Amino acid sequence: MPSTLTLADFDLATRSASGFFIRYVVPRVEPIHLYAMLARRTPFRLSAPQSDIIIGMGHGDIDAFTGQNEAIILAIGKYNPNEVEGKVIKLLSCQTGVSLGPDLVRNGAASFQGYTDDYVWVCDADLASTPWSDEMAATCLMPVVNSINALLDGKTSKEAFDTELAQYDCYAEIEEDELIKSCIEFNRMNAILLGNREAKVRPRPKIAFPFPPPPIILPLGA
Amino acid sequence: MADTKEEWQRYQEALRRGDRAAAAEAFRRYQEAKRAEGKGRSRPTLVNLSTRAKAYPNAVPLDKIPDELERNPEFFELMRRIATKENS
Repeated sequence: MPSTLTLADFDLATRSASGFFIRYVVPRVEPIHLYAMLARRTPFRLSAPQSDIIIGMGHGDIDAFTGQNEAIILAIGKYNPNEVEGKVIKLLSCQTGVSLGPDLVRNGAASFQGYTDDYVWVCDADLASTPWSDEMAATCLMPVVNSINALLDGKTSKEAFDTELAQYDCYAEIEEDELIKSCIEFNRMNAILLGNREAKVRPRPKIAFPFPPPPIILPLGA
Repeated sequence: MADTKEEWQRYQEALRRGDRAAAAEAFRRYQEAKRAEGKGRSRPTLVNLSTRAKAYPNAVPLDKIPDELERNPEFFELMRRIATKENS
């Protein structure tokens, strides 16, 4: 089964996060990448039923997850349960763990990982063309990336979730910047896992790092 | 000048009190202390993944945080949750 990976990329927050996904997750998953203009409802509706894992990054709210330019991708009462049934779902987005996540699990998702409050981090706006090189953003985004890669290694949802929490702890312990440290701890506190903790997906091939970085992506607004 | 940890504690106290002007001033002093310690970075910006339905921006450059704290109660509330880990 393929993966569905939906990545918005239209402002500084989505550019920063999508950069880390492009660098560290995209090389591992099959070519259904709903990136930028493809991060929309129709492509998602077509690809999700075929997938065993749904990975999403975009803006969100308690009852909705969005893609490019905040186009609704998943909203309570506005999706077909066959899009999520049996899937392991990970959404990097704000507050989707409050209502949307429980709704996805009620509609058959095997497991759901998300956040119950805003997902926040500090990034360097000067690195928008090479966001994966941003060490400030890495303190929050690498735990997410490594958790996703744990799922793609065939680990259970609980093991992947614990990987993320443990990495937040490591980054928080060594971080000297109080604001960045607060963001790490805040995201850790709001991370949530719902559904079957033993749910997992078919392991994907591992890639060895250093893996060549992707080409520089266009500046925002170009 | 106090160090960054002391300034951060003053900032947290102001957030807990709900004093927007004091929180803004404390964050300015925190930024100054960071620069004095040589920890200023290029263009650091606080970002989040909330939708436009929220009354605060998705990206706030750190040097604009004090202004946003003073004028935007919802952003103040977000910063209070982040810095104090206390839910409203």
